[in-house]
Amino acid sequence: MSELVTITIDGKQLTAEKGTNLLQIAKNNGINIPSLCYHKKLSPTGACRLCLVKIDGTNGLTASCTVQIKEGMNVIAFDEELETIRKYLLDYLVSEHNEANDETYNDEFKDLLKRYDLINTENRKFPSVWKLFNYPTDDSSPVLTYDASKCIKCFRCIKACNEVQGKNVLSFTDRGISSYIIGGFGVWGESECDGCGECIQLCPTGAIVEKPHRTEININKIDRKVKTTCPYCGVGCQIELFVQDEKIVRSIGVDGLMPNDGRLCIKGRFGYDFIQSKERLTSPLIKKNGRFEEATWDEALDLIAFKFNEVIEKHGNDALAGYSSAKCTNEDNYIFQKFIRTVFGNNNVDYCTRLCHASTVTAMLRSIGDGAGSNSIEDFETTDCLLVTGNNIIETHPITATYIKRGVARGMQVIIIDPKWTPLVKYAKLWLQPRLGTDVALLNGMIRHIIHTDLINKQFIETKIDRGWEAFEELKILTEKYTPELTEEITGVPKDKMMEAASIYAKSPTSMIATGMGMSQQVTGTNNVFSIINMMLICGQIAKERAGIDPPRGQNNVQGATDVGASPINYPGYIPIGNEENRRKVANIWGVPFESLSSKPGLTTVEIAKAAYDGKIKALYIMGENPMVTDPNLNHTKNAFEKLDFVVVQDIFHTETTPYADVILPAASFAEKNGTFVNSDRRVLRVRKVVETPGSARQDWQIIQEIAKRMKKPMTSFTNESDIFDEIASVTPMMAGISYNRIENGGIQWPCPDKSHPGTSTLFIEKFNTPNGKGKLNPVDYVAQNEKTSKEYPFLLNSGRILFQYHSATLSRKNDALNAFANESYVLMHPNDAQKNKLTNGIKVKLISPRGELETTLKISEEVLEGELFMPWHFSESLVNNLTRDELDPHSKIAPFKLSACKVVIN
Amino acid sequence: MMTEEILAKYKPQKDNLIQILHEIQDAHHQQYLPEEELIKIAKYLNMSMSSIYGVTSYYTMFSTKPRGKYIIRLCESPICDMLGSDKIAIKLKEILKINFNETTSDGLFTLESSECLGLCGNKPSMMINQRTYTGLNEDIIELIINDLRNE
Amino acid sequence: MKKETRIALKNLGKINPENIDDYLFHGGYQAIAVALEMQPITIIEEIEKSGLRGRGGAGFPTGIKNRFTSNSCNDCERFVVCNADEGEPGTFKDRIIMENDPHLLLEGMLISAYGIGASKGYIYIRAEYYLSIDRLKKAIESAYKRGYLGKNIMGSQFSFDLEIKLGAGSYLCGEELTLIESLEGKRGYPRIKPPFPAEKGLFGKPTLINNVETLSHFPSIITNGAEWYSNMGTEKSKGTKIFTISGNVNNPGFFEVEMGISLHSLIYDFAEGIKDGKTFKGALLGGAAGTFVDNSMLDAAMDYDKLKERGASLGSGAIIVFDENQSIYDLLYSILRFFKHESCGKCVPCRIGTAQLLSLMDKLKNEENKLEIINEILFQSEMMAKTSLCPLGQSPILPVRSAIKYFEKEIISQSIIVNNF
Ligand SMILES: Cc1cc2nc3c(=O)[nH]c(=O)nc-3n(C[C@H](O)[C@H](O)[C@H](O)COP(=O)(O)O)c2cc1C
Ligand code: SF4
Ligand code: SF4
Ligand code: FES
Repeated sequence: MSELVTITIDGKQLTAEKGTNLLQIAKNNGINIPSLCYHKKLSPTGACRLCLVKIDGTNGLTASCTVQIKEGMNVIAFDEELETIRKYLLDYLVSEHNEANDETYNDEFKDLLKRYDLINTENRKFPSVWKLFNYPTDDSSPVLTYDASKCIKCFRCIKACNEVQGKNVLSFTDRGISSYIIGGFGVWGESECDGCGECIQLCPTGAIVEKPHRTEININKIDRKVKTTCPYCGVGCQIELFVQDEKIVRSIGVDGLMPNDGRLCIKGRFGYDFIQSKERLTSPLIKKNGRFEEATWDEALDLIAFKFNEVIEKHGNDALAGYSSAKCTNEDNYIFQKFIRTVFGNNNVDYCTRLCHASTVTAMLRSIGDGAGSNSIEDFETTDCLLVTGNNIIETHPITATYIKRGVARGMQVIIIDPKWTPLVKYAKLWLQPRLGTDVALLNGMIRHIIHTDLINKQFIETKIDRGWEAFEELKILTEKYTPELTEEITGVPKDKMMEAASIYAKSPTSMIATGMGMSQQVTGTNNVFSIINMMLICGQIAKERAGIDPPRGQNNVQGATDVGASPINYPGYIPIGNEENRRKVANIWGVPFESLSSKPGLTTVEIAKAAYDGKIKALYIMGENPMVTDPNLNHTKNAFEKLDFVVVQDIFHTETTPYADVILPAASFAEKNGTFVNSDRRVLRVRKVVETPGSARQDWQIIQEIAKRMKKPMTSFTNESDIFDEIASVTPMMAGISYNRIENGGIQWPCPDKSHPGTSTLFIEKFNTPNGKGKLNPVDYVAQNEKTSKEYPFLLNSGRILFQYHSATLSRKNDALNAFANESYVLMHPNDAQKNKLTNGIKVKLISPRGELETTLKISEEVLEGELFMPWHFSESLVNNLTRDELDPHSKIAPFKLSACKVVIN
Repeated sequence: MMTEEILAKYKPQKDNLIQILHEIQDAHHQQYLPEEELIKIAKYLNMSMSSIYGVTSYYTMFSTKPRGKYIIRLCESPICDMLGSDKIAIKLKEILKINFNETTSDGLFTLESSECLGLCGNKPSMMINQRTYTGLNEDIIELIINDLRNE
Repeated sequence: MKKETRIALKNLGKINPENIDDYLFHGGYQAIAVALEMQPITIIEEIEKSGLRGRGGAGFPTGIKNRFTSNSCNDCERFVVCNADEGEPGTFKDRIIMENDPHLLLEGMLISAYGIGASKGYIYIRAEYYLSIDRLKKAIESAYKRGYLGKNIMGSQFSFDLEIKLGAGSYLCGEELTLIESLEGKRGYPRIKPPFPAEKGLFGKPTLINNVETLSHFPSIITNGAEWYSNMGTEKSKGTKIFTISGNVNNPGFFEVEMGISLHSLIYDFAEGIKDGKTFKGALLGGAAGTFVDNSMLDAAMDYDKLKERGASLGSGAIIVFDENQSIYDLLYSILRFFKHESCGKCVPCRIGTAQLLSLMDKLKNEENKLEIINEILFQSEMMAKTSLCPLGQSPILPVRSAIKYFEKEIISQSIIVNNF
């Protein structure tokens, strides 16, 4: 704890921690010293000079924003001289300033002019000079406009970009009164700016303003501002949506609330267009003679109920399955899985988690007992070492990445293991670039090095690892053959680098692991994660604060959907379905006969498609998923879906999957829902209704209940989301203490076992979540992957996400701002390969694998290794998954999206 | 010298930026910093484009526009100004037929002004590239320029 | 009468600056040899006792600064930085030292580094000083070769590396905290004080910044002792100072003399009086950030504190002399233009004030209410001085106030004359 000190400002005594910012303390206590360049999220600048005060014992005036308080400090913040000076400074500033104001933004400067009675030009002393300097306007960015004539040169945008987002895109150019802000070399649209808009949010005037929807805004006519959770990635940023005339016109980050403390990425800030897109589904549609026709809800729901019942009668309970959704709320998913289990009477419920982190989760569950991230998002800033494996975190979890960049600025060491260059490399101490699919060998090599240099944590092995030294010996024996030389031979990573990485990871006081799709989406996905966990355990880099393993989750609610039971093997709260006692407990809460709950593990996503192909699944209920883009080996999925008797798709848009539906049901988007999401650091966050649903679209959970009712198998009929959540809490021990009331002003991290529990920021501090509380080593050997290149298919294709689009792009591509940054598919190829194959940048190429082909545009880039290709998979016109395999990881059933042999031909 | 060679002489540390900019500018036959070169520097030093550009635009000795073979830096600081550098300026503009911050069409001369060059005496001073000139008057100026034209 | 006392310029003209042997022959690198026999703290004490004050302009006691830097932490990395940015108009003493005796500066840096326990130093020099840079480079190279730089200097435990860093055309970068930013490869924005460089300077480490001339006094102080040094000069301004005299004088140039010399002697004995038989009107002491004086001040002793008592400043030692025909209005205009050009633009009062002052000067030419405008110039300069972030914005008040004090009438009449042209 810091020392408390007492200071006096204008005779008022205040107590605060020693070293806190004087201006902030004053503001917190209602002493409103004016300021413009200061912002509590930024380091002090001392540029506007408005906050000058007098401090006893100091000569002259001092900018209070630059002062750290000390015991006994006596401050004069307001007297006639200071107020005269402030007025004079503002008067100066307005002489340099173009006052045109289109009422689309908050203007802190104008507010101060009012306060100092300077709105009226007659009260001003200094001639206006701004016109002399030909201040330019930079309109080149797709998302914002900068008008230098309105800029008060406060540095807040630059610091927002540097200190908050860690991007360094902005600077001043020139100097003195001619200086102004530039992006890149002076053209914002050609700079590294990725459109997060942090600068817009922190600009005190209208110098930087957003482009999308701004002309529609009148800041005085905003009807309401609603706080909710961003619908894109698994960070779960808290956003505030502005509504004017029932239209969403602006999104800003909510300051002071975790996980993002006001920060957003481009998707969170500008990705809200889709909500009120004209393409939204507004009415149920029934396929008649191959065409979709509008229908009433009664028609649609009755048909569905009849068909589902028909399938059950004809083919039995196991002939139906459901895809639940990582985009939907916990409440929706909970009702969905309950529906599958109690109405379909099986456990065939799964969703896209199978396609991303199932392997990670499987490995984590088996070795440490929990599949969720062990740490909190802010630990990404404060840990000493961060190992990032197969994780393009800057693009896929941009806000988590802001914490990392801030950490690097204060000395954190980042080690990257990734075959592909990612932007994080710029911030990294070491980048190990193993050949695709050789991670196990690399990690075993690192483990061996750690053992040989005695960097293991002996006490940890003795006390925290299952079977202690015995288990360790097994690992030691297995990894012994991975000598630095062999490891280098297999992986291509220079042995010195490998050893240095291992040492840094093991030696740092605290090390965290952020593991991503690059590790998990392989046939050896589970083994990859096993090996990294092995390394973590023998180093004891878990079970303490700022250490552990964190798989940042892709979708906004991947974490939550599994938490609340959208899983073929677990009830809500990871309670295995196989156990009879569990079934009894759940049946009791749900009010259904215990015998009606199936004990048979359900089918996973890809297995459902296979079963459909084999004629075992006849009807499918899809809520908010788009398997026709996300599934591997799409040609196979297509054939499988065509064989189904009856398909219901419930979504907010037509997708690549809706054509296979017999009935399409229009659902509510996140902005029309109340509910909760769980983000990557296990924070249960509120989702709030901002606007009404379009047309006759309905809430997902209401639709499900209605179908159950019409199937004559009614479920508990809820009338609001809060009640649903209370039932979730009653079934799910780790959320038992959470309720809407408690998360009204900020999320709570599970486990939160009771109403007085504050939530848990770090997992496993006391023990692992395994039956005996100990971590389990799972030694695994490197196995060369089946997918190999050949003469015919000489390239290995890697696929992944980019910042500007999201997942299957159903939502993201309905936003002009995002499309302006990236709206076209491409494939990256190393310059040497391009030269060898006589291919030039920008040409159209065809990628062909044994399973399918696609067309795209070639980009030559050093971001990939020779012999390897990389393609974003968001673009449905060039479906990467036409090329991928559906051979599965035997442990987790994940598909190997990351590795497909293919060839490239000129189109 | 090629930019790559110059970069190779320096450790990739940000504090080397200003020296690198000087060397690359000096090595360029038009004595300026083309954007392509700045991009190479940015990559090498792992800096953003704006932090490079912000620096080049802050310091008056750097230029991102092509300049002549000879850069004339006429001192306009208070002493030289008092001693008549304004008259020298007029003369220079007249013989070179250009204004300040312009380059003669033959690519030979760029006329710039400078703050105090530490050459203060009782007559104005200037520099042309690395050479210093003191004791200037209108006649001498003409001789100096002619000499350089014939060099 | 015209007798210089040379310490910083002691080897001027006697040695070939590009030849280390010449320097050695004239007693070079003997002071560091002596110093290495002493305890570091003794060096600091010697400097303190000598009474040496910073020659960069501020006149801060050098020994105290050395002590602060040395005490600011145990065992951490420290730097010595030589401020060779010399941008104050009318000042060129550092250039003379570096061009003529670069090793003296190196030796001074070695001593100061040994004193505070620094093992790395930088010379931050303005890039326009090509000859100085060239000579320093050669000197550094030969010093390395002879073991006066690098590891285990002269067989001792003391190691010191020295690197030259260039400026690129910014007056403000001579200000110590801005200089550090520039050294780190950034735009020249001043840092917020505190922390002072002695606590947190270059790369966040304690840093001692001294001017070229200041450092060039170190070897002689160590060789001859603090007492020898403090016997020169006045009670509070010890030793010698190089004055650079320019403007309407017969013999402009640099002169190293004992502190306390009169302005009259400098102008008439050393600079040999006013050119072309004209009469002395006044002088600007200390450059653009300096103060105007008229002939009532000719008797003033060149002493930091005595000048200050009389409302003038010694500054960098620049003396700009003007005769009766010069327009003080024009000179003041030129000074204010200089500040506008060199304002970094970070803080409101200086960024806008330097522009507003210049437009007031224009207004003065064109409007009748001249007294009012002059008062406004004074008021705004004062406000700038009170509120600006760094010393640059606090500077215009110095020439403005003193110009008005001595030459208000001239400024008014000259602004009319200009108008009548
Ligand atoms: C605008 C400005 C410019 C300055 N320029 C120089 C300079 O060129 N050389 C210098 O030695 N000091 C300069 N200084 C003074 C330095 O800030 C600092 O006081 C000095 O380097 C300290 O060294 P000293 O104690 O040896 O004088 C300048 C100060 C200001 C405010
Ligand atoms: S653009 Fe806005 S935030 Fe940036 S310096 Fe100007 S006024 Fe400040
Ligand atoms: S006083 Fe002038 S030079 Fe100093 S910070 Fe302010 S604007 Fe920059
Ligand atoms: S004023 Fe021109 S060289 Fe000094």
